[in-house]
Order: sequence, then C-alpha cells, then structure tokens
Amino acid sequence: MSTKVRRVYGYLAEFKNASQLYKAAEKIREAGFKKWDCYTPYPVHGLDDAMGVKRSILPYFVFIGGLVGFITAITLAYTTQVGLYPTVVQGKPSNIFTTAAFFPVMFELTILFSGFTVLFGLLALIGLPRWNHPIFASKQFARVTDDKFFIAIEARDAKFSAEGTKALLDEIGGDNIELVEDDSE
Amino acid sequence: MAHQVTSKDIPTNGEHLEKSKVAKLQLITGVIGGIGLIASIIYLFVGGGVEKPETEAHESSVAHGSYAFSWLFAVFFVTTIALGGCFWTFLHNLSNSGWGTSVRRMMENLGLVFPFLIVFCIPFLFPQVQQYLWEWMTAYKQATAAHPGMDASKALMHSSNAHDHLLAAKVFYLSPGFWLLRFFFYFIGLGFFIWLVRKFSVAQDTDKNPGTKNLFAARKHSSWSMIVFAVTLTFLALDLVMALDYSWFSTMFGVYVFAGSALNSMAVLILTGIFLQKAGYLNKVVTEEHYHIMGKLCFAFTVFWAYVSFSQFFLIWYANIVEETRYFLLRNTENWNLVSLSLVFMHFALPFLALLRSDVKKKPTFMIVLCLYILVMHAVDVYHMVIPERGPSVGLVVGHHPQLWISGSWVGDVLALVTAVSGFLFLYLRNLTSVALYPHRDPRILESANLHN
Repeated sequence: MSTKVRRVYGYLAEFKNASQLYKAAEKIREAGFKKWDCYTPYPVHGLDDAMGVKRSILPYFVFIGGLVGFITAITLAYTTQVGLYPTVVQGKPSNIFTTAAFFPVMFELTILFSGFTVLFGLLALIGLPRWNHPIFASKQFARVTDDKFFIAIEARDAKFSAEGTKALLDEIGGDNIELVEDDSE
Repeated sequence: MAHQVTSKDIPTNGEHLEKSKVAKLQLITGVIGGIGLIASIIYLFVGGGVEKPETEAHESSVAHGSYAFSWLFAVFFVTTIALGGCFWTFLHNLSNSGWGTSVRRMMENLGLVFPFLIVFCIPFLFPQVQQYLWEWMTAYKQATAAHPGMDASKALMHSSNAHDHLLAAKVFYLSPGFWLLRFFFYFIGLGFFIWLVRKFSVAQDTDKNPGTKNLFAARKHSSWSMIVFAVTLTFLALDLVMALDYSWFSTMFGVYVFAGSALNSMAVLILTGIFLQKAGYLNKVVTEEHYHIMGKLCFAFTVFWAYVSFSQFFLIWYANIVEETRYFLLRNTENWNLVSLSLVFMHFALPFLALLRSDVKKKPTFMIVLCLYILVMHAVDVYHMVIPERGPSVGLVVGHHPQLWISGSWVGDVLALVTAVSGFLFLYLRNLTSVALYPHRDPRILESANLHN
C-alpha cells in the first residue's frame, strides 16, 4: 500500500440516462460551477445549452486562417505569374485579367489553410494530445463508452468543497459518487 | 431552454391560413397578373416594336420581338423558383428528413406552382414569338421548305448559311416536333409528380387512422420524381435559354440553373416562413433552429452557385473554342461586362460574407433583407442569361451600328417581371390557403418542432 499523497481530481457521479444527466447539468450550471464536464456514450443534443457552454472562438481562427490562405494564393500566383516570370499559356494575358486562372489556387489554399486552422486550433483549444487524463483512474468510468452517463466536477473549481460538492451531486440524483484521485505520477 | 412542444400544442385540425387575411393581396396580385398577362399577349403578338423613324431605309428601323425576350426572362425567373420548390420537397422526402417536417408544406406549395406556370409559357408555342427567340426554328423551317422531301439534317447541310451546318448535327434534338413533345412533358410530367407527392402529404392531415403509410408513399414516389425533376430542370433550361443561341453549348448549363433555382426557392421559403410567423402562424412548430438550417442551405447554395458558374466560365475561357466562347464574349461586351462582374461580387461574395456567421441566420429582419436581396440578384442572373441575346437576335441597326442594347426595352422587362411575379404570388397564395400550413398529423411533426442543431 502506497502512502504517497495524491492530488484530488474531483468528484465523479453516474447518471442513469441522458434525461437525468441533462437535468443535473442544468442544476450544476445554476450552482455556478465552471470547471466540470459531462461524459456520455453518444452525443446528446442540447447538452451544450444545458451546461451553459459558451460558443467556441475557433470560427474566428478559421476565418483568419482562410483569409491568410486566400491572400497567400493571390500573392503567390500574381507575383510569380505576372510580376516575376510571365509565361504566355494559350494566348492568355499575363496581367490582372489572368486572375481567373488563379481562382483554383485561391480556392484550394483558402480551404487548406482553413482546414489546418480547424485541426490545429481545435487540438490547441481542447489541450490535445496528452498522455493520460486523471479521470481514467476511476474504474467505473470505463462504462462511459457503453451505457453510463457521468458528470465530473473538478477540484480546481472555485466552488468546489469536499462535502458540499458531494452533497450537491447526491441531491441532483447522482449514483456511485466517487472521489477521483490523480494516479498519474 | 424553451418549452418542449408536445402533441397538446398542435391544433387537432391544423393551422389554416385564413382566406380573409390574404384576400386583398391575392386580389391585387391576381389583378396585376391578369392585366399584365393580357397586356403581354397583346404586346407579344401585335406590338413590341420600338419605332426608329429617323433611320435610313436599308437599316432595320423597327425592333420587333424585343418583348419576347422580356417575357422569357420573367417567366424563366419564376419557373426556376417553382422548380426549386419541387426539388426541396423531393429531397426532404427522399432523405427521410425529420428537421423540416414543419416547413415541408411550404415546399410542397411552392412546388405546386410549377404546373400552373404553363399558362405563362403558352406564348412560347406560337411561331410569332418563337421566330425572335429561337433562331434554330426559323432555320429549320426555311431549310425544310427550300428542300421539300429531303431529310431535315440534309436540308440544313444544303443551306447557303454556313451556320445552319452546325444545326444539322443537332437536328435530332433541335427539331420542332421533339421540342413540342418535351415542352408538354416538362409541365405534365413533373406537374403530376409534385401533385402526387403533395397529395400524400395532404391526405395525412385528414387520415382517420394516421400512420406512416402516406409518409412512406411520399418517400417512395419522391425517388423517380427526383429523376423527372432533374431531367425537367436541365432540359427546360436547355430548350428555353441555351437554345437562344443554337451554336452555343455548355454541359454545365443545367446544373448552373439548378444552383440558382435551389438557392432562390430556399430564400422564398425563408421569407414565407417569416411572414407567416409575423401573421401569427407556425409559431408552435417553426423556431429559429429551422431558420438556421434553411440559412445554412442558402449559404451552401450560394457557394455552389459560384462554384458551378465559375467552372462553366473557367472551362470555356481556358479551352477557347469558338463555338463555346460566344456566350461569354457577348456578355462581356460593352456594359454587359458590368453585369457579369456584378454577379461575381454581388451574387456570390456579398451573400457569402453576410451568411458566414451563424447568429445572423436566426435574425428574421436580417434574413428578410438578405433573402429579398438574393432574389433580386437571381433576377439579375436570369437577365444575364437571357437578355444579352436580344440585341443580336432583334438586329436593330442605328446609324450603321448594330445595337446590343435596345433603348427603352427595359420598360418591357419591368412589365414582364411584375406580371410574372404577381402571377406567381397569386398561385403560391392560392396553394398556401388551400391546405393546412404544416402537416400537423405527420409522425415526425414533434421531432421537427423540437428541433435542435
């Protein structure tokens, strides 16, 4: 038996179905918690609203990413084809009227840069990749990929207290309430 | 979180648009449409000439047939919107969608306008109108009359006009008999299918034992209806618009018209939904989530329209084949160039940027303005397809200069557009008042009312 002091991750509570989880999420939101999350076997529509999750800032990153791609394409195609080394292809002009020929490049680079921003922006915002997550210390949590719904309230939350949070989870209908300790060290 | 809609919220007999509420509008649109139609017929067959008395004797002094182009432009504009209604109805049934059940009846009503539009298209059956619009018909008749007993294709090859040789290769498709057959197939064929699919939906409203029978029947019959729709839209566009210049061809043309048609019928559906809600209907079953989805479809088809129209331009521009480039050369000559450019920035770029954000799609006032704007730009798009052909076809010459633009002809364009849009609105309102506004006994109406996306 280890005597090592472990960091408390938070409380984990199980809920029987999506509807219970949904109502519980609304109550936790109303209680003013910020650092907590719901875990479900499948996407539950409307859960974001129930949890009070704010709109992601990712779309703004993507818009800027797309714009950068668009400008890159214009600059690349125009400076090379019109400015630096004009080549006459099929009698097409090499001036501003060549722009039609650049549209595919503009389109592709806009999509490519937006795509990259989506992928890397998303990974950065959700904090992936990472080696492990403290919540995996819980044995019962494995059933989240099967048939159980969970809510975890993190100990980092300002409103968290050992007794109060447990009582709250109990009150809103959570079963098998468990104190999850980080065993990753 | 909004209140969950249950079956208690849905009226047992459904919501019906009260006839008295729209009677005035129906009367106004009906009268304008009717008077406009009579005026148009007179104008099409008797007048339509812009007198130019000061021109020299050998020059063409009267621009006959100017109004035929105005009429084609206006009728084709409303036809594309009605066709879009057919498309959304069939697509909704085919894809087994749940989200749009509460707005499906509007799609059906919009689609059912299409068969009635044959009334507006009847002038196109008369040679007096055809001779200005479709030169291939004149060429065909002249060639077969000059060489009696000869095969039409051979007769055209014997013609002294070198352009007729181009027609000889297409004579299987561009022959008056087949053209007439197709014309009736479009309206009767697709008209029957949209009527049938709508009938299943309406039958559900009064079915004593409402099950899934009608829903599944509508889904089943939407499958071949979709094929009939695709054929109808593509070849209607070819026969009415692409054939304005029989030497020109583009394999993208059908899908180009389709993209505009789907976009603008969705704009009409959004407008209908918003106006009905303002009048106090649909409030139980249509939420901002529906407008969000419909706005997303508008956005998608704005991009699709740009994609297809650019592809059409790009391939023709790059390949640089004489028969193909004429379309864009004409549309970039003189001031038509401004119209072509305005389509790029105002039909694509502006709505694209305006529709990017998700929250604006849920704002009714914003969407009213934007949808009306999209419809105006669609009118410009159809104008750009049809009207540039008018100058060369009418052949007005003033002071040795062939006229691309016939001065004063815009009056006819406006008259035709007002007439066609009024007639369209009259028919649409008639469809809307004839049945319940949404399928209140559809098995998925609650799923749709509680939509969340």
